[in-house]
Amino acid sequence: MAGQSDSTMSLFSSEEIEFMAEDEMTEIVPNLRMDSLNFICGDYGPFLPQLAAQVPLWLALALKKRGKCTIRLPQWMSVENLTRVLEAERDSHAFQPLPFHYIEISRLLFDHAREDIPDMYMVRSLIEDIRDVRFHKVETNLEKFTASTVTWKNMSAMEVNVIRAFAGRALQAFYKHDNEQQTPDTDRAQDKQPQSTY
Amino acid sequence: MENYNEIDDILAEEEFVPVVFQKAINGVKIDESTEKGYIEQGSKTELPFWLARELHMRQAVSISVPACFNQKTRLEIQADAACVDLRSRCPYFYEFGSKLAPLCDKTIGLLLPYAFRIRYKKILHKAHAIAFAAASKFPTLLTREETSLYEAAQSSMAAFKKWRAGGPRLQRASILGRKRKPAE
Amino acid sequence: MATEESASVMDDYEMLISTTDVELLKRAWRNEKAAPEILQFESSLVQRIKEQIELAEQNEEIFEANNIEPLTVSLYQMDLDRTQFLLRSYLRVRLQKIEKYLFYVLKTDEYLNRLSKQEQMFARRCTDDLGSHLDETVLAKLPDNYRSILKQSITSEEDDMGTRSSLNLFYFSFFFMCLNIIAIYYVCL
Repeated sequence: MAGQSDSTMSLFSSEEIEFMAEDEMTEIVPNLRMDSLNFICGDYGPFLPQLAAQVPLWLALALKKRGKCTIRLPQWMSVENLTRVLEAERDSHAFQPLPFHYIEISRLLFDHAREDIPDMYMVRSLIEDIRDVRFHKVETNLEKFTASTVTWKNMSAMEVNVIRAFAGRALQAFYKHDNEQQTPDTDRAQDKQPQSTY
Repeated sequence: MENYNEIDDILAEEEFVPVVFQKAINGVKIDESTEKGYIEQGSKTELPFWLARELHMRQAVSISVPACFNQKTRLEIQADAACVDLRSRCPYFYEFGSKLAPLCDKTIGLLLPYAFRIRYKKILHKAHAIAFAAASKFPTLLTREETSLYEAAQSSMAAFKKWRAGGPRLQRASILGRKRKPAE
Repeated sequence: MATEESASVMDDYEMLISTTDVELLKRAWRNEKAAPEILQFESSLVQRIKEQIELAEQNEEIFEANNIEPLTVSLYQMDLDRTQFLLRSYLRVRLQKIEKYLFYVLKTDEYLNRLSKQEQMFARRCTDDLGSHLDETVLAKLPDNYRSILKQSITSEEDDMGTRSSLNLFYFSFFFMCLNIIAIYYVCL
């Protein structure tokens, strides 16, 4: 299963984020007949050939790998939509609404369902471009960290996760420096018991 | 000690500071070459910060500004804080500075956040740069605290890139495959 | 206490009709991983998940006996694997936290009460082991006044060697984190 992020327990590994993304619902068109699946995570099916069904992404990929279905490309991954998003992303400081797991979902589909993606290369390069533009915004936001005007709305799971460790440390550092400046440590000088200074 | 569990906090207090003795002190030497078994008032030496602080509390010494906060460094920081080699001056620049400021020169307290804010921006951009040359000398200029910030960003980016490149998700625990030692 | 319990039962009930236990466990896991301090152990949820895992395991045996298609069996296995991963990871993150803030958790009733019975046992055994290890390797060799595992010296009025301060520091950073990042993480969901 997904790799556990070890020592830094408050962080998610990329694999754990991917694991969460695999629960996103996806539309498939099965080519087999199969009874309902009564999983711990929910009930899916019954499946009939050529009849579209909604399943979690991990199940879609499992069936796909065994040649039992085609995956319908989500609407947001169409070339038209991505082109529009990229333009809007470039024109605005805000993050455009995209699925919370857009990076993970698109990577999983590129890896395992390429023949179900028309214009695969176009789609892939659009998503790369969108990710680049957005990451640039993330950096700009981090630069103005302490300003209250910064907006993080619509940031995706992976985008948050990539900066989580850095942002945490940076906030800690800013907090420390700002505090030291405001309250120069004068009262400590009188404190002879080191253990009572907590 | 302020923070018993912070090794960096302890190490920051090992930094040397120049002091001038305000009292004569019997029974100790600061200079091996002299025959005198006491310290005269007005003698100068360098002591680790933790000792200097204790003596300062007892009004035995006055603490002067150490080299890493001297005028030259300040001018360099004002010119371009992001390019100053703080590590060679003091790897605990911020921690040391904030401890030192109330005891010798309060303006150090203003210098620290100023320097950090500017350097933070450069760390942010350098550390997240996608095609960052590993041979850059920038990381060698950073203090301990800055390095941890830089490394946090670099390792997150590296982990993300590794994930994006794909590969096996199932990681074999290192303990598997190892042979059990036969029980005695 | 009783009213609190019945309130949480009501909450559970309302959640149950809208959400699967796996979804709830995923939420608990995510919260536990994102929070700096240890959260309340989800005992009834964990109990239900365990039962469902056992049931799924029994079903597998039935599938085998009834010659169900290997494809179907492997899909059920994947579902089971995912649930087990979540449960293990949830329990493991908690154990890591307990180990890290061992003395502080044991000393603070508020935190201690958040642990399950087994976790409390784990915490106590950890302390005993750590205590005797430190005793044998270091403390026994120190002067009498410095042999406490919790105090810097015998003159300390309170326990001043736990990880409390780093936990507090952790709080500060996470206070901001919560405002800025983690909050957004959940708002986005």
